[in-house]
Amino acid sequence: MASDVTGLERLEDRPITMSPAAIEEEFTRIWKETAAAGADEASVRLRTQNFVGVGPETWTVERFERVMESLPQRHPCRSVLAVISPERSGLESSISAHCWRTAAGGRHVCSEEVILKAGPADEHALASTVLALLVPELPLNVWVIGPVVLDSHVASELIEGADIVFVDTADAPDVAAALRAALIAHRKHNVAVCDLAWRRLAVWRSLIAQFFDGDDGARRLSQLRAIEITGGGAVSSEMLLMGGWFISRLGLSLAEAERDNTSLTATLYDGSRGVTLTLKGGPEQAAAITEVKVRTSEAEFIVQAHAESGHMHVREEWPGDSDHRTVAQVPTDDASVVAEALDDASDLPIFIEAAEAAVDLLRN
Amino acid sequence: MTMAEPAVNPLRTGMRLNRAADPCAVVVFGATGDLTARKLMPALYNLARERLLPGGFSVVGFARRDWTDEQFRAAMKEGVTKFSREPLQEELWESFARGLHYVSGTFDDAQAYAKLAERLAKQDIAHGAAGNRLFYLATPPDAYAMIAQRLGEAQLATPQAGNWTRLVVEKPFGRDLTSARALDQSIGNVFRERYIYRIDHYLGKETVQNIMVFRFGNGIFEPVWNRRYVDNVQVSVAETVGVEGRGGYYEESGALRDMVQNHLMQVLALVAMEPVASFRGDAVRDEKAKVFHAVKAIEDVGRDTVRAQYSAGAIMGAMVPGYREEQGVAPDSHTETYAAIKLEVENWRWSGVPFYLRVGKRLPKRATEVAITFKTAPLQLFRQMGGDNPTPNLLVLRIQPDEGISLRFGAKVPGTRSDVRPVNMDFRYGSSFGVEPPEAYERLLLDAMLGDSTLFTRWDGVEAAWELLTPVLDGWADGASPIKQYEAGSWGPDAARELIERDGREWHRM
Ligand SMILES: NC(=O)c1ccc[n+]([C@@H]2O[C@H](COP(=O)([O-])OP(=O)(O)OC[C@H]3O[C@@H](n4cnc5c(N)ncnc54)[C@H](OP(=O)(O)O)[C@@H]3O)[C@@H](O)[C@H]2O)c1
Repeated sequence: MASDVTGLERLEDRPITMSPAAIEEEFTRIWKETAAAGADEASVRLRTQNFVGVGPETWTVERFERVMESLPQRHPCRSVLAVISPERSGLESSISAHCWRTAAGGRHVCSEEVILKAGPADEHALASTVLALLVPELPLNVWVIGPVVLDSHVASELIEGADIVFVDTADAPDVAAALRAALIAHRKHNVAVCDLAWRRLAVWRSLIAQFFDGDDGARRLSQLRAIEITGGGAVSSEMLLMGGWFISRLGLSLAEAERDNTSLTATLYDGSRGVTLTLKGGPEQAAAITEVKVRTSEAEFIVQAHAESGHMHVREEWPGDSDHRTVAQVPTDDASVVAEALDDASDLPIFIEAAEAAVDLLRN
Repeated sequence: MTMAEPAVNPLRTGMRLNRAADPCAVVVFGATGDLTARKLMPALYNLARERLLPGGFSVVGFARRDWTDEQFRAAMKEGVTKFSREPLQEELWESFARGLHYVSGTFDDAQAYAKLAERLAKQDIAHGAAGNRLFYLATPPDAYAMIAQRLGEAQLATPQAGNWTRLVVEKPFGRDLTSARALDQSIGNVFRERYIYRIDHYLGKETVQNIMVFRFGNGIFEPVWNRRYVDNVQVSVAETVGVEGRGGYYEESGALRDMVQNHLMQVLALVAMEPVASFRGDAVRDEKAKVFHAVKAIEDVGRDTVRAQYSAGAIMGAMVPGYREEQGVAPDSHTETYAAIKLEVENWRWSGVPFYLRVGKRLPKRATEVAITFKTAPLQLFRQMGGDNPTPNLLVLRIQPDEGISLRFGAKVPGTRSDVRPVNMDFRYGSSFGVEPPEAYERLLLDAMLGDSTLFTRWDGVEAAWELLTPVLDGWADGASPIKQYEAGSWGPDAARELIERDGREWHRM
């Protein structure tokens, strides 16, 4: 073939459009071509998972592409994005590659990406094409992007065989419905569900847990009086999940909850002792959570996010004494959050319990 | 004394770390030295920024120089700025530095320890360190015994009820069997074995830990990991650097003491040990100790060991001086910068399989590898490309710089004839996981604070390694295996090649 660029270089340059039936063949041809061109530096194709994005076209393409810019470096994958748009008819597909140089230099490592776009009438064709493109024997992780709609044809076909399903309940106009949808999918398909809103709380949860390690910690927890969670805008799914986490982990029972547009106050019981939980919304532009304060009968334990510096402040206030330190925040962009969750999914069962408690808070 | 299980924190369920380190004070002896600035302080700073240190954490530096807290903080800031894997961030540094303090004194001065005790008591109140102490000996090795003794006399080695006191000791632990035993005894008079954490920073390296994951996390390797299938094992550490201005220190040590007795022996143990049932408590160290005790004593030092020194040569095209021309090195020095040694592990798994260890400075490239050569197929059915000898399967565990695993096997060359050519299947951690592993010292310091001693060496292992290698040092002192020269930039002396070729084998090409 007379060509002065290798197949891979063309792929990196811009996506190539083709019929869905030709995708696998085209990938094979391109890899062969790249090997034959004997590029100065070796290129290797690497995949440790199938990563599939599903959603309405308006929400999805840009967000998925942003994740693909860095996720494959930590979790090399065959990725497929399947979007549906009411304006389309027929099934359109394109392929591209994400390549990067390894830290040790020398090699180019590449992940393959396929984008499929379909109209509402082609949902079945879309689902079967995605299934055909999955690499066998590798985990399947599915990200349902945008509002948490898990019962569309494409979504349910994929969730059925998935290892982890990612959603972001913060995207949903109705948080309670989104959390319920996540819980139903978990039960119905026996699949691990990972809510990005929940994973963005990971750093908060670990800093708060630190206050209560060891024998002293157990004593402090037994003196718990109040939990105050503050954030931007209305009561968000992050605030609710944080509240749900405290309730489920500490085995608190809910007596009553009151809410208005920007706040929720609940009375919880730990045996005979009352604990107040307050979720307080604030300025619209602030982060979903800006402060968590835990009050015991002796002291206050506070974690705050500092928007400008991106750092977090951790404080203990005792009568006549205080301790204060500053630590780094962790990145909360989609790619970092998904990558972290893929590294360690051991908190997903905890999420289910927190989500159940959060739904409970809203029911009252 | 039985230790009560720490209370379970319900908020920790589902978290990777099931508890944070207890609030504590880390006391660094030798705090103005190179190791503190280069490794310890950057590691502590990164642990703090990554939220792994508890509230109530503080550091007290102890050394001779008459510094104030402020001078100490400034020097540490310079060290972290220069050596940290993550750039220093001003606000995070300020928060961390509030917990840094300094006490000046000499290691033998009882008064200084009284001052230290006073300072620690004050800090317990100010930082809530709760009386837990981690003493870190980053000092010249001849000071270890003295410091332990003075800590004992000042009542600093015995914790208050409900608290802990641990001692971290840097390498080297002794210079031979006698001195190691004497040191163990002096420290043992003051600290019980379970509170002594001997650092071997190799064990803190992610890829060394990967040897265990590779062996015991996969089902397919263990069945062939024995004398029936393995022909020989080679552990190699090649450095391109020379003595880097530390000629005086190196003259007292040499490759066998500096690398083989600790790092290479530890790697050998991880490769040769039996599977453990769990990673709790002493399980791994028990299995490693069994390997050390199964290594056969070297009977003929002249035959089974080689020592050598680099002479002037070129590394990557740049001329470098010979070892004897380095600063601080005697012109007639007999200190080895290269050592090769053949060992045998006499147990059911390994009997008859030689383990070859080699380490050298000023070699052509920097690499640390374990190479396992398998026995060849019993029949030679296919024609080998490029020679008559069948190429054995080779499994290489690369520890640095480009961590990974490669497996060599024979494959058919496309065509009508059945010709076989060796091909490599290569896996690199760096390309598959694209994340920076933490520095070895971060992991080890955190483990010491958490009270997890799995990655630290235990006295029986240290003693067994000295028992094995002290006769080599003695033999060399008596003139066995006279010291050879090798040109800087070469792969070592001819004698090392002869040592392995005598067995009909060759060094794996790195
Ligand atoms: N440097 C490394 O990369 C490295 C790597 C692995 C292991 N190690 C081991 O770590 C240990 C420390 O090495 P290093 O390179 O940091 O040594 P170093 O730079 O020579 O530092 C020695 C430290 O000990 C202090 N000191 C020495 N004698 C003293 C005395 N009589 N009283 C009070 N303080 C005294 C010095 O204080 P003043 O300066 O105030 O006098 C200095 O802080 C050694 O055992 C070495 O084998 C080092």
